[in-house]
Amino acid sequence: MDINIQDYKRVGVVTVGGRIDGATAPDFESHLKDIIQSGQNNLILDMNNVDFMSSSCLRVMLTTRKALMKVGGRLVIADPSSRVTDTLDIAGIDVLFEVFADREAAIASF
Amino acid sequence: MLREEGQFSARFEHIEAICDLVERAAVDAGLDDHAQYASQLAVGEACENIICHGYKEIKDGKIYVKVQASPGELTIELEDNAPPFDPSKKVVNHCCVEDLEGGLGLPILHKVMDEIEYSRHGDSNRLILRKYGSSG
Repeated sequence: MDINIQDYKRVGVVTVGGRIDGATAPDFESHLKDIIQSGQNNLILDMNNVDFMSSSCLRVMLTTRKALMKVGGRLVIADPSSRVTDTLDIAGIDVLFEVFADREAAIASF
Repeated sequence: MLREEGQFSARFEHIEAICDLVERAAVDAGLDDHAQYASQLAVGEACENIICHGYKEIKDGKIYVKVQASPGELTIELEDNAPPFDPSKKVVNHCCVEDLEGGLGLPILHKVMDEIEYSRHGDSNRLILRKYGSSG
């Protein structure tokens, strides 16, 4: 898993790629918790380069979404790969996440 | 017809290698890209379940994997020595988002595979997953 975080004034952009499963989800979660604890209430997950995501990744996304909603923030997805779209659809949780075609559109929504 | 098998330590970092084994067999079976990914997703969920729950109190557990491909049909067999657990019968009804956080793996398994069979042999769990292609 590769992860890069850009923290803007209104939103943090987390670019993640590779494989997010039981082996890497704890590291993914740790990065997201760190950025939330730093005071950022809005996050964009740029997931164009994700080539595998298991339910461990989905759990992290759901718990992060809940944590941000509690403080009035949002978690959205930008530019998802076909694997990400497939997994969200198979799990039946695609309706829980706002999805934008690219990160610029996602940033503009905040 | 392709047949491969392997023995893996029940650790998260080995799931990728198991998925690679499944991907090779899925390609050999002629499954399309969506079905190839779905099969990898299913076996990954089954393995995460074995590691997280089956071997929760057991160190050095093993997962034995056999894959078999024939035209339009992929068969995956997983065997472990964890306490009995039958994922083929697991029924999960989600009533709220909080439920989803703890239990997405088995619903995914059931949604993407065409057949799921569980049996207990001595001290082993055996799970057989089948995926058919459009011509299967």
